[in-house]
Amino acid sequence: MLRHTALFLGYELRFLLRNPIWPVFGILQPVMYLIFFAPLLGSTTPSGSMADVLAMFTPGSMMMIALFGSLFAGFGLINETRNGVLERLAVSPAWPPAIILGRVAKDMLVLVLQAILVMGVAMLMGLRIGVIAFVVMLGLMAMTGLFAASLSYGLALALRDENGMSQIVQFFAMPLTLIAGLFLPVSLGPEWLQTAAKFNPLYYGVEAGRALFRDDLSNSTIPTAFGLLGALAVITLIWSMRSLRKMAG
Amino acid sequence: MIIEAHDLRKTFIAKRGRGKTEEVEAVRGIDLAVEAGEIFAALGPNGAGKTTTVRMLATFTAPTSGTAKVAGFDVVKEAAKVRENIGYVSQAGGVDDNSPGLDSLMLAARLSGMSRKQAQVRSEELLEAFSLTEIANRPAKTLSGGQKRRFALAIGLVTRPPLVFLDEPTTGLDPQNRANLWDEVRTLRAQGTSVLLTTHYLDEADALCDRLIIIDHGKIVAEGTPTDLKKEVAGDVVTLRLKGLEEARELLAAQDYIKEVRAEDDLLRAYLDDGEHGLPQLLRALEERNLTLDSISLDRATLDDVFLRHTGRSLRDAA
Ligand SMILES: Nc1ncnc2c1ncn2[C@@H]1O[C@H](COP(=O)(O)OP(=O)(O)OP(=O)(O)O)[C@@H](O)[C@H]1O
Ligand SMILES: [Mg+2]
Repeated sequence: MLRHTALFLGYELRFLLRNPIWPVFGILQPVMYLIFFAPLLGSTTPSGSMADVLAMFTPGSMMMIALFGSLFAGFGLINETRNGVLERLAVSPAWPPAIILGRVAKDMLVLVLQAILVMGVAMLMGLRIGVIAFVVMLGLMAMTGLFAASLSYGLALALRDENGMSQIVQFFAMPLTLIAGLFLPVSLGPEWLQTAAKFNPLYYGVEAGRALFRDDLSNSTIPTAFGLLGALAVITLIWSMRSLRKMAG
Repeated sequence: MIIEAHDLRKTFIAKRGRGKTEEVEAVRGIDLAVEAGEIFAALGPNGAGKTTTVRMLATFTAPTSGTAKVAGFDVVKEAAKVRENIGYVSQAGGVDDNSPGLDSLMLAARLSGMSRKQAQVRSEELLEAFSLTEIANRPAKTLSGGQKRRFALAIGLVTRPPLVFLDEPTTGLDPQNRANLWDEVRTLRAQGTSVLLTTHYLDEADALCDRLIIIDHGKIVAEGTPTDLKKEVAGDVVTLRLKGLEEARELLAAQDYIKEVRAEDDLLRAYLDDGEHGLPQLLRALEERNLTLDSISLDRATLDDVFLRHTGRSLRDAA
C-alpha cells in the first residue's frame, strides 16, 4: 500500500523535477502580496511594526498558495479520465487509493517547499519566528495541502469537466479567501462575519498560523486546525475513491 | 478456460442534460468461453458493445447482471486477483502524455511488484521488442500515434500476463505498423499468452484470430472460427447489378446450386459453395429469362457476408 503510494509519488516527482519552474511561479503571488500589500497594513496591528504586520499577514498569504495552488491540482486528472491512464491504473494491481494519495503527497511536498520559500522571504523582510513555530507551520501547510488537493482531485473525478471545475473552484475560492480573513483577521469585522468564518476550514488554518507566528503555541486553534483539516481530507479522499470507482459508469 | 462469461449485461444510466437520464443497454446478454492460448476477437460496428464487454471482463466496469470468470477468478468478487493476471490496453491507449513512455513502463512494472532492477530489465526487453529504445525518454506527447500505441502495448505486457485485452489495437496505425502488430500478437500466442482483442476491421479478425464473436447491438450474432463462419454462409459470393431485381432474385433462389440470395439496394448477392462452376450456370439461367446484367463479380465470402447474413446489414454501412 505504502509502497504503491511511494511509487506514484516518485513518478510525480520525476515529472516535477523535469519541470521545476511551475511551483516557483506559484509563490510569486504571495511574495508580491508580502512586498506590496503588507506595508499598507501598518495601522492594523497594535505596534504597527513590520515584524507584527508580517506575523499577522504571512500565514494568510501562505494559505493563499494552498488555495490557489492545490485547489487547481485536480485539473490534470480530468484529462487522465479520458486518455485512458486512470482506466489502465484502475485495472492494474495498484492499490486504488495510492493513485490519488501519491499525487496528494506530491502536492503536499510542493506546498511545504513553497511555504519555506515564502517564510524565507518574510524573514528577510523582518519576520521573527521560533524553530518550533516554523516546523509546526510547515506541518499545518502540509495538512492544508492534503485537504485542498484531495478536494481538488475529488472534484475533478466527480465532475470530469474542465469548464465546470474551473467555475466551481473560482466560485468557492473567492468567498473562502474573504471569509477566512486571509488578508486581515476577521476579528476586526462584525459579529456575523466572525460567525460565518467559523464554518470555513481555512479560517482555522489562518488563525492557527497567526497563533504560531505570535509564538502562542498553546493556542487551541492549532489542534483544531490540524484535526479539522485532517478529518476533511479523509472525507474528501473517500469521496474521490468512490468517484474513481464510478468513473466506469 | 481463461475467460468464461454467462449472460453478461450492462445498462448505463446516461445523463441527457437538465436532470433527465436515459438507459443505454450497451451489452444485452453475452456468453463467452475463451480457451487458454487462443487469440479471440470480438468484431462489431461502432457502439456494438465491444469496449463495454472488455471493460467488464477487465474489472473496470461492474456488470449490471451476469457473471464472468477471468483466469479462474470472478470479475466482481475477486477483482484484485483478476488484475494480477491480465494486461489491458484500452481503446484510448492510456499513455501519460506528460512523462516519457519509459517512466510509465517502469511505474507499471514496479506496481506489479518487481524490484527496480527487474523492472529495468523488463522495460529494456520491451523497448527493444517494440523498437522504442530511441524514443524511450521523450515525453509521450511528442510521439506519433503509432509510437504511442506501441508504448501502450508495451505497458500492457510489462507483467507478462497470461491474458491480454487489446481494445482496437490497430486503430490509427499505418499498414506497416498494423502488420507489425499482428506479428506481435502472433508472437504472444506462440509464447502461450491468451489474447482477447476487439476490432471493426473484417480482414483483421479474419487474418489474426483463432475464434471470434460478432457483436451487434450488445448481443452475439455469430461465433466460431473465421473459416467455419464463412463456410456457414457459403464459399463464394456472386454480386450482380441488373434491372429486374425482383424477378432475378426469385429465379436465382430457385437454383439448387445457390444456397441463398439477398437483395441489397440495387444489387443482389448469391451465395454458393463452388463459384467457379456455379457462375456459368447462373449466367445461363439469367440469359434464358432475358435478364441483362450491368455488372457481375465473383468473390470469396468474407466475414462481412457473415455479418450481413445475421444482421441484414453490411458491416461497411452499419454504425
Ligand atoms: N459510460 C457510458 N455511459 C453511457 N453510455 C455508454 C457508456 N459507455 C458506453 N456507452 C454506450 O454503450 C454502447 C456501447 O458502447 P461501446 O463503447 O461498448 O461500443 P464499442 O463496440 O466499443 O464501439 P466502438 O467501435 O465505437 O469503440 C454505445 O451506445 C455507447 O453510447
Ligand atoms: Mg470501443
